[in-house]
Amino acid sequence: MLMDEKNRVILFICLAVLAFAFLLPLATGQNAYYLTVLILMVIFIIFASAWNFLTYSGQGSLGHAAFFGIGGYISALVAMKSGLTPYLTIFFGGAGAALTGLFIGAICVRMKEWFLAMVTFGFAVIIQVLVASQFREITGGWDGIAAPPLISSSVPNYLLYEYYSILVIAVAVLLLFRYILQSKTGLAFSAIRENELEARAAGIDPVRYKLFAFMVSAFFAGLAGALEIHYLGYITPEIFGVDISFWPIIYSISGGLGTLAGPVIGTIVITLLWDGLQSLGLTYPRFIIIGVILVLVVIFLPRGLVSLPGEIRKRAPGWMAWVHKRIPR
Amino acid sequence: MEIGLDIFLQVVVWGLYAGCIYILLATGLNLIFGVMKVVNFAHGQLLMIGAYVTFSFFVLTGFNPYVLLAASVPILIILGVSIERLCFRPIMGTGKLNEIFISIGLIYILENVAAMIWTDEWKVIKSPFEAITVTVGSMKIPVDYIIIIITTAVTLVALYLFLKKSRLGLAVRATSQNRKAAMLVGINVERMDMLSFGIGAGLAGAAGTLWVVSGQVFNPYMGSVPAVKAFAIVIIGGLGSIPGAIIGGLLLGIAENFTVFTIGGAWKDAIAFLILIIVLVLKPTGLFGEKAE
Repeated sequence: MLMDEKNRVILFICLAVLAFAFLLPLATGQNAYYLTVLILMVIFIIFASAWNFLTYSGQGSLGHAAFFGIGGYISALVAMKSGLTPYLTIFFGGAGAALTGLFIGAICVRMKEWFLAMVTFGFAVIIQVLVASQFREITGGWDGIAAPPLISSSVPNYLLYEYYSILVIAVAVLLLFRYILQSKTGLAFSAIRENELEARAAGIDPVRYKLFAFMVSAFFAGLAGALEIHYLGYITPEIFGVDISFWPIIYSISGGLGTLAGPVIGTIVITLLWDGLQSLGLTYPRFIIIGVILVLVVIFLPRGLVSLPGEIRKRAPGWMAWVHKRIPR
Repeated sequence: MEIGLDIFLQVVVWGLYAGCIYILLATGLNLIFGVMKVVNFAHGQLLMIGAYVTFSFFVLTGFNPYVLLAASVPILIILGVSIERLCFRPIMGTGKLNEIFISIGLIYILENVAAMIWTDEWKVIKSPFEAITVTVGSMKIPVDYIIIIITTAVTLVALYLFLKKSRLGLAVRATSQNRKAAMLVGINVERMDMLSFGIGAGLAGAAGTLWVVSGQVFNPYMGSVPAVKAFAIVIIGGLGSIPGAIIGGLLLGIAENFTVFTIGGAWKDAIAFLILIIVLVLKPTGLFGEKAE
């Protein structure tokens, strides 16, 4: 297949990153702490990418924790009751999340982003209250329930295998998103995002495509949630917390909204920063630092970290001139 | 379940009182939205800050907590004006998503600053009038409820008079009706943004004080639930409509109390969301929505 120069560079970078992600745990001697950080990072890459997928269709959600958590609860309950391996039950979790997403999407599909944002935000808060109180019988209330592990901890090197399996899933999800977005569906998404009226005039049914985007996004958010809780081994209503809704947004914005690489880069950079701040003992201040970073990125780098090289190239001559002016000759 | 008239009235009065706090929040949201076309998702966090400001002054001075409205409202107005200047002004007009994202950043900042200053434990204070009730007919109404309802009514009347009778209020309304035209007749619309955000934050501060006075517990992360109810009211009443916020708030307060009374306390927080969904399905612009946004 013929590829232009830029695409070949991108493919090369992707492969290099993958090879690095594959070799890193081996190079660090399967250090359990690094593996934990890596596993959670890859799970959140799936979650953030699923959230970002929604924005391609011009929609946004402030309550993706609802889908993340529903996926987790359904998968945990199914795995516990049926004894199936979590690698199968995560798809039940995803499907349950997708159905919920369809329901929420159908209510909001004709409304503008403010309503959607408020409804999704409210949905996550309310579902947390319900799961913790009303459905206590099956969900264990605030104490939560145990979730079967992905791979039994009696298997040697089980963390490493869990990491590789999650990595494979993440790569598959990203490839699937790429495939969808480059197909006619992706074109329809951009048409709807840019101008819904014109899209409708061109024969695109916005409602159908928006609901499809919502379902796909909720499905993979649920899948990511299921992976997380099977990895952790338990699930509590805290999975519906406001901060879980906001992480994928923060990752996607800081990386670059509306790009496939954005959520990946954003997740890696912010997770490393987060764990770095944690090891410095800044438990509360790190939330504030992340909040300030978010505000600064929205104001000064609205297209995220992926646009950083371009921005620097654009502004470098100005900076050079500024420096030159101040150097005495 | 059979509900007698006296119990019915009692539940309505409780609902009015509960609705007051939501009304103050939702009115502020609507005022900000009307002028700036921005939904401040960190509004519940402003209520939380208002609650802690009241708490701190109460612990320091021992004043009657109702008097501390005089502390929480001005402090929140200053905070609101600073937030508008520092966070929203630079991104106004660059897209709705950015405005939503700024609010998210603010939620993180406000919640965790509060957690650093006041720790994340649940706090509660007791109103000095806790034990006093007024008997009307066969109903026993705590005097706190009456004070809260009157305080809210006075605040709303003052806001109404400001918006309808003063020149500055006229300018605020002009900006919210048509920003460009307001600019053309010489209104400094950015100052109106600042003013409306300040007033909105001040109302949230008042709501925070009333939250504390009514004996409800609070911690740095409690802001989301009242905020969600305020959103529900805003959607039910129509985005940008202040009368809608008042009626929506009263309806929600009463509906919540009936839910507690009939189905059970656990559904109290969910009922707002159920009403919201029903309204959205039946009338997407809200009961009093002026126009589809």
